[in-house]
Amino acid sequence: MSQEISIDGLRKMAERAGLELSEDELRRLLPGVNRSKKQAAELRELIAAADEPAATFDLQEKHKIDAHGT
Amino acid sequence: MEPNENSYLTITQAAAALRRNELSPVDITNALLERIEAVDDKLHCFITLTADLAREQAQQAEQELRTGTDRGPLHGIPIALKDLYMTKGIRTTCHSAVLQNWVPEVDATTVTKLHEAGAILLGKLGMHEFAFGGPSVDAPFPAVRNPWNTEHIPGGSSSGSGAALAARLCFGALGSDTGGSIRTPASHCGIVGIKPTYGRVSRYGLIPLSWSLDHAGPMARSVEDCAIMLQAISGYDAKDPASADIAVPDFQSGLKDGIKRLRVGVPRAGWFDENLGVERETETAFNQALEILKHLGATIVDIDGKPFSLARKANQTILVCEAYAYHEKTYKETPMKFGSSVRRRMLEGAFLSAADYISAQRARDVLNEQIRTNFGRVDVFAVPGAPRPPEAFAAMDPNEQNLRPNFTNPFNLAGLPAICVPCGFTAANLPVGLQIIAPPFEESIALRVAYAYESATEWHKHKPSL
Repeated sequence: MSQEISIDGLRKMAERAGLELSEDELRRLLPGVNRSKKQAAELRELIAAADEPAATFDLQEKHKIDAHGT
Repeated sequence: MEPNENSYLTITQAAAALRRNELSPVDITNALLERIEAVDDKLHCFITLTADLAREQAQQAEQELRTGTDRGPLHGIPIALKDLYMTKGIRTTCHSAVLQNWVPEVDATTVTKLHEAGAILLGKLGMHEFAFGGPSVDAPFPAVRNPWNTEHIPGGSSSGSGAALAARLCFGALGSDTGGSIRTPASHCGIVGIKPTYGRVSRYGLIPLSWSLDHAGPMARSVEDCAIMLQAISGYDAKDPASADIAVPDFQSGLKDGIKRLRVGVPRAGWFDENLGVERETETAFNQALEILKHLGATIVDIDGKPFSLARKANQTILVCEAYAYHEKTYKETPMKFGSSVRRRMLEGAFLSAADYISAQRARDVLNEQIRTNFGRVDVFAVPGAPRPPEAFAAMDPNEQNLRPNFTNPFNLAGLPAICVPCGFTAANLPVGLQIIAPPFEESIALRVAYAYESATEWHKHKPSL
């Protein structure tokens, strides 16, 4: 499971991401960010080592577009 | 103002009346423009009204129909567009200060298709800012109100599309749907909306929210009208990388074939009771709708709701990451141009990692497989359109979306076609919707079930008084 992010942790993450956020904004964001991180952690429990992402690189796509002359 | 009786017509009825010369495109366009003028200051459906263009297009349609040029059932029919569809020479705002005065140089593919089908453009409709967050209370345009009770939200993000149809301000509209943005306003406004299969309708010229979850689709006042509009906008488009090169069937041909022996899967266990569960009046209306489907010859089958429940988490993770990736540069340059609601939700994506996003895409594949496997046992799924009736603006809770089951976003994650039709009203006269979900590229089945239900009920005939 994911560890809860503190307001200090979120402030550092915002700085690293190049975001200038006020203390008020950081406080409003914190519950949503923690919920998002928790959800993302829960999703990891659903996947096995062999599971690939839904979006994959498709070499045939180029041929499909060419076939339509565009 | 009581609407001119012609504004009550469906597209199907209006198209027939036009061909019998009982109505003209100019008459119906003028009637709708008058009604917009009279009532839209209470609803705020339209951001941009294209009255002069509409009158010009109506005159052209009238002339063409009179001289025997018939472009099909949308010829001479006034429609409107969610304001994230690019329209050449007409401003496209996404209900945001970021694009407040932006005028695109191209039309979205769907807009071109509707134009070629002879539809008349009345204007551009309000929405949730960038199709995200909630009602845009601090955007440069007022939030859209629900015609059934203007103190209540119309649902979003295609809020103007749902409200304008319920208020009889247009005959059809386009919405977009990334987590329920066509089906939620359809449910909350008592109209019909269909999110087609991912890839069925081109997204070229729509401002993205989340590329791998975005769908374009029609909204109207009847199932048949949705079929007509879907026909006009479907098909392969090389300009959209996700467009499916697959034949488009005739969506009207099997509409009246009935649903005898159809198996309807209801994923109740492990989903409907999530957190606060489904609101009582909504669940009652939904259960009554299932009884009607049974009466029409369908069999109701219980299926496991757990994968549907988990799908919400993958959808939300992918959505906020892709949304932030799209808006990051603009946000960093002009953060205060974004409204508070969209800013708060979009920034969640800034704090998730690449591994979080990729894990969600991996989980998406796992969950989609678990969801689709059910189609070996059932033909369609049925769930409520929304877990509760539209709440009042004053009582809105930003966390509401996570307190009840989300009945729409699993089908964005899975890319499945899903239609929402009216299935009742609460004691406070607020609409409730029924959602039918079909296998990939089987919109015809979803439309057939919805049509059978609609034909057996009167909910779609109710009208709000304004």
